[in-house]
Amino acid sequence: MTAARVDSSADGGSTHIWVSGEIDLANAPAVEEQIRAAISSHPTSVSVDLTELTYMDSAGMRILYRLASRLHALRIVLELIVPLESPTRRLIELSGFESIAALRPIRS
Amino acid sequence: MLRPVSTAGEPGNTLTGAEDRLRRIESVTDAALAHVDVEALLTELLDPLRELLGVDTASVLLLDASSQDLVATVALGMEATVRQGLRIPMGKGFAGRVAAEKQPMIIERVDETNVLYAVLAEHGICSLLGVPLLSNGTVIGVLHVGTHFPHRFSDDDVKLLQLAAERIVVATQSRRTEVERAAALVFQRSLLPARLPVVPGLELAAHYVPASRGGVGGDWYDVFTLPSGWLCVVIGDVVGRGLVAADIMGRLRNALRAYALLGGDPAEVLGRLDQQVLHFEPDTMATVLLAMFEPSFGRLHLSAAGHPPPLLALPGQTAIFLDVPRDHPVGVPGGLRRRATTITLPPGGLVCFYTDGLVERRDTPLDGGLEQLSRSVAAGPVDALCRKLIAQFVGAEVPDDDVAVLAVRRQDSGEVGPLDLVLPALPWSLRDIRLAVRRWLSAVGASPRAIADLLVAIGEACSNAVEHAYGPGSGNVMVHLELQLPDVLATIRDTGHWRPPRQEDGGRGTLFMRDCSDDLRIDHGPMGTNVVIRHRLFPAAVR
Repeated sequence: MTAARVDSSADGGSTHIWVSGEIDLANAPAVEEQIRAAISSHPTSVSVDLTELTYMDSAGMRILYRLASRLHALRIVLELIVPLESPTRRLIELSGFESIAALRPIRS
Repeated sequence: MLRPVSTAGEPGNTLTGAEDRLRRIESVTDAALAHVDVEALLTELLDPLRELLGVDTASVLLLDASSQDLVATVALGMEATVRQGLRIPMGKGFAGRVAAEKQPMIIERVDETNVLYAVLAEHGICSLLGVPLLSNGTVIGVLHVGTHFPHRFSDDDVKLLQLAAERIVVATQSRRTEVERAAALVFQRSLLPARLPVVPGLELAAHYVPASRGGVGGDWYDVFTLPSGWLCVVIGDVVGRGLVAADIMGRLRNALRAYALLGGDPAEVLGRLDQQVLHFEPDTMATVLLAMFEPSFGRLHLSAAGHPPPLLALPGQTAIFLDVPRDHPVGVPGGLRRRATTITLPPGGLVCFYTDGLVERRDTPLDGGLEQLSRSVAAGPVDALCRKLIAQFVGAEVPDDDVAVLAVRRQDSGEVGPLDLVLPALPWSLRDIRLAVRRWLSAVGASPRAIADLLVAIGEACSNAVEHAYGPGSGNVMVHLELQLPDVLATIRDTGHWRPPRQEDGGRGTLFMRDCSDDLRIDHGPMGTNVVIRHRLFPAAVR
């Protein structure tokens, strides 16, 4: 079974989320649910750190897209942290995610 | 009435008579030796004895060394005691006193005051004669006979029963040793992997020769993969022999597997095993070497708990002993923090693990054995190497100690054959497919970029099969990878035809598949879907 771990911490109005492990069809619903729970406190900005995520495919991108459109509707700023050499960087670039959220190699 | 019996000063003629009668039992003993279990053997011995002495019951209780209870093992005429697992504490009741005092005893009339739990009375036993089963002066059990009518046992009867006891001890002891040895061997064999895992990119072989004299020891080896794609190789040696050592070895093996699953480097894993052994197996000591291969197999991490270092042999070079710090054996209290070492394993390289039984000989100094070993190990076919080492160091001899040898060779990229996977088209299979694909691509020397791309492209194709091929029915997804230099060719097949309505973002997976391959072909046919992905092994040089 594919394993991922979602950690989060709130810092003032900002919520920081770290996702590690792998995301595919098998665990995408569970990961999405955990991310949703992490932002239930109505933050003003959210950062999602994918540095430790070793694999993700369209099942994972689907989560990020839904998260981005929801936060966009609520006027909450989303920032994605993906180092240049990280395994998921290429996929995120391919998907054109930069047009809807900030993409940074390290946390700003 | 309970009376100890003196057996001194018997007249010669009665003894001759007893021996004569006993000869008939001995003939039975020889025949019975063909039996495997002690119970059947004892039954064969007791049956004629009952007839000879004209008694109604004949029982053997054997001492359970750990609890110091006498356990009813065979009881002719009072079988229920065996079925009920009757246990008599040492020194209690009739049998307990015979054992404690190591003397023959007679009870002429059984009553509640002179037997324990009235077990004998319940079986209608009136008179009893019991003798201890002695092996080199140590009690191993009790033999007693009883009658349903008041009976006065003669000194001749006592003498006969003592002689029978001697024969029973000899037969039982050798049979028990043999049975225990056979059981330990079967047990140990069952704990060693029957087949080593098939790991694309690696060649694995192991050979194990049990010690014969003095029973099996506690050597073991184990090879298993972790969900993260790491491969663990374990070799160890539990101090001790026989069933006890084999039993401990089994527990250590399982504990180590569980601890490896928790993650961490080999030093941390062995550290957890230290805690387990110190708490649950305080009298145990074992040497263990744990090697953890990274999923690419390009590097391995090792930690040694008192175990001799493995050898590394590179193609065309003399083997060297790996410089692994030899920390304390597992089970030694107050040990310092364990250390782990990392070494590089280039393609074609071989690592040879062994237990000290291979090189330790009474007639040869250890250093000499190790030097000879380093000269004998070379990078080459692993099975042949293990056979050669066993032939050279053990030969036709029966070793004094167990011997285990395990060799792992990393294949050169050119030696790796195609990969074929058939897994149920279920979400849980995706991780296993990724693991195998990642491993195979590392083994053929694909660049990190090619690996990342192909994992996504193949992952998307498999996800499609899982989600769309079979509907509520079940089926498989087949993955085939092969080299067509300079490309990797991946084929993903299913045999379904069910298609759901398109989702809002359903096309993204296909886009990723296309973006992550140099060439992509998808054929939906009546027999299922066929996806062919082509990708350069080293895309950086091309793009």
